[in-house]
Amino acid sequence: MSLILSADEQALRDSVRRFVADRSPLPAVRELIAAGEPYDRGVWKQLTAQLGVAGLTIPEEYGGAGAGHAALAVALQELGAGLVPSPLLASAVLAAGALLRLDEEAARQDLLPGIASGELVATLAITGGGGGRITAAGTGAQATLTGELAPVLNGAQADMLLVPAAAGDGVGIYLVDAGARGLTRVALTTADPTRALARIRLDDTPARALAGDAAGALAAAADLANLALAAEQCGAMAACLAMTTEYAKLRVAFGQPIGAFQGVKHRLADMETAWELAHATLRAAARSADEEPDSFAADASVARVMISGPYFTAAADTIHLHGGIGFTWEHDAHLYYKNALSGKVLLGGPGDQLDRLAGTLGI
Amino acid sequence: MSPQGIGARTGEKFRDRARAWLVENAPRHSADGGSEDAGNSAGLDAQRAFQARLYDAGFVGITWPAEYGGQGLTNAEQIAFSEEARHFSLPVGAFIIGLGMPGPTILECGSEEQKKRYLPPMLRGEEIWCQLFSEPGAGSDVASLQASAVRVKGDGEVGGDTWVFNGQKVWTSGAQYSDYGAVLARTDPAQPKHRGISMFIVDMRAPGVTVRPLRVATGSAPFNEVFFDNVRLGPDALIGAENKGWDAAVVMLRNERVAIGTMTASRGNPLGFESLRELAAKLGRASDPAARRRLAELYARERSLAQFGRLLREEAMSGRSIGARGSVAKLAGAELGAFAADVAADVLGDAIAGYDSSADHGSAAHGSADHGSELRAVVTAIVAVPGGAIAGGTNEIQRNIIGERVLGLAKDPGVDRATPFNQLRVGTQKRQGAS
Repeated sequence: MSLILSADEQALRDSVRRFVADRSPLPAVRELIAAGEPYDRGVWKQLTAQLGVAGLTIPEEYGGAGAGHAALAVALQELGAGLVPSPLLASAVLAAGALLRLDEEAARQDLLPGIASGELVATLAITGGGGGRITAAGTGAQATLTGELAPVLNGAQADMLLVPAAAGDGVGIYLVDAGARGLTRVALTTADPTRALARIRLDDTPARALAGDAAGALAAAADLANLALAAEQCGAMAACLAMTTEYAKLRVAFGQPIGAFQGVKHRLADMETAWELAHATLRAAARSADEEPDSFAADASVARVMISGPYFTAAADTIHLHGGIGFTWEHDAHLYYKNALSGKVLLGGPGDQLDRLAGTLGI
Repeated sequence: MSPQGIGARTGEKFRDRARAWLVENAPRHSADGGSEDAGNSAGLDAQRAFQARLYDAGFVGITWPAEYGGQGLTNAEQIAFSEEARHFSLPVGAFIIGLGMPGPTILECGSEEQKKRYLPPMLRGEEIWCQLFSEPGAGSDVASLQASAVRVKGDGEVGGDTWVFNGQKVWTSGAQYSDYGAVLARTDPAQPKHRGISMFIVDMRAPGVTVRPLRVATGSAPFNEVFFDNVRLGPDALIGAENKGWDAAVVMLRNERVAIGTMTASRGNPLGFESLRELAAKLGRASDPAARRRLAELYARERSLAQFGRLLREEAMSGRSIGARGSVAKLAGAELGAFAADVAADVLGDAIAGYDSSADHGSAAHGSADHGSELRAVVTAIVAVPGGAIAGGTNEIQRNIIGERVLGLAKDPGVDRATPFNQLRVGTQKRQGAS
């Protein structure tokens, strides 16, 4: 795979970009936020049924397109650029990624077609800390879970939850129905209004133990989450760069477009440089996911390190370079800033990523 | 094999052949991460001999036309060779500037006679070239240069078709052993600064040329100052049109930036992740939690620049223009260098403040491994880092270029753009030719 987008990838990018502009422009996202909705069900339905984004990495035998992680990353960049709220990361990346690594054909056949079509929303209850605050009792289909965990991506919207829990000396992954006895969930107040999070409480809740290498599946899901989050953020960073560059050409001060002044120009040049590096690492990580599994864990961490922090800086600079207008509620810059803040710390923040990368590299 | 035999081969076959030839003929990078790679420290005679063999094998001037001694192949073959050569330390340092800057410029702007006369010996390593742009009063603002070439007749009177060249150049790599140089000179001081400059070929052994080594912060002298005192330039010395030298210079500088930006992450760099990790481990300093994070971040930054370099190469290979994005690579490379210096100081701690250069690899007097030569290489590299943010255009100049030519922002107000050069205040020199 080339680091340059293929013709197919460009076509996918263009169709998702058009979809975002038509169906989920930022004013519509603002209405959703004002209404307190975690995501627009109509948009989600079209995203999955028409564009098939949830099935991009799910094999054809389970109802997906089997197109690969590079394709999903291309779509996620466009969705990230538009701050489109959706359970894509929770359901199609985390839950599907873990299911595909576990040894549970029945669960795959039960759940993956629904995840791919978007009719079923699932999540994997992991946090940056790695979980472990939930304990399991019993085995097989007779297991029960007790404990609590937060923040869980789309935990309040999911129909099915995959829950890692301490079982004996190790860890297991358990399948829990959202309507199961003893399960309560609280939608959290979120720093980023476009990313829904919940606290999950389980009290002797019936669950089914899923067979397979749970630790391996969790590690794989963490790598895939790094790639997916990095892809969203890379797209959002491009949106910040485009918005700020445009403003620096239009806004005049002291008789010049402000982009003529080095105080503005140099900060934008730094944003462009950070974005070029971010984009190259994202493409490299996506290529590893599809073609070089041995280097994927390191490349996915590198992508998070080179994107999550720099995106936060770019979002802050977007506010700053717009001046006062950029700090108003009506301007979109604060939506990106909040999105960057949340994405920086979720599913393993900067320190966690470096520790994880150091471990992968054998330092 | 004759160079002509390669033309028909495909890119992958070319890569295989290049790899086989390199394995057979080229030295590898030195394993100890020393700063003096064989590629740069080999003697000139050895470099000439190696360049000639490389040329005979068909790996020099890969994209240049066959009529001027090149191979007439595409960017794809050039990139394939560069990627394979990365694993080796080719002793061809003396030829990099000529083939990277004056060569392509002569190819693009030079006369037919110049191409035939100068390009083949340049490729074969028979003649070495340098580039002379910067002056003591013209660094970032190189278009404000004051060295001047005046047209004279055979009897020395003004007018005619030869030139008399006077002035001082600085930061010239390889001037001490170069046969020819590509030099910028002011030929019309009544024009605004960008419009009165011409580019010439100068014989570095001509009467009136004086080369003095320029010692830098690291203690070594990789550059020179060059003085020109009434040096005669013949009618065939002008590259391109008179007073159009700035356009050719922009092309030349753009080539330079891509080369510098993607060079930083090369192997054998004492501030590279692999070298620093190994040295930190030997000194028992790699397992500290803060050190692990810093080394991991160095790896991430190094890897991202390498991937960006790869992306630029792929774009070039597919025939797209990378435009001014070489400046992104140059800026990112300089910033990576500064970051690596910071990591090295943080991770190695006071071991870099003082070390026993006479002791090596565990044979130190106090019973502990000292690794003096490796530490010395690290310190030399840290001292060299600020130069990386200046050479080839400062970080600030790169940011101007990225802002204006990549993002399309308005140009700097530039109060001197329309003013005739002879009415401008420039540099710090009082008069041209002052030394």
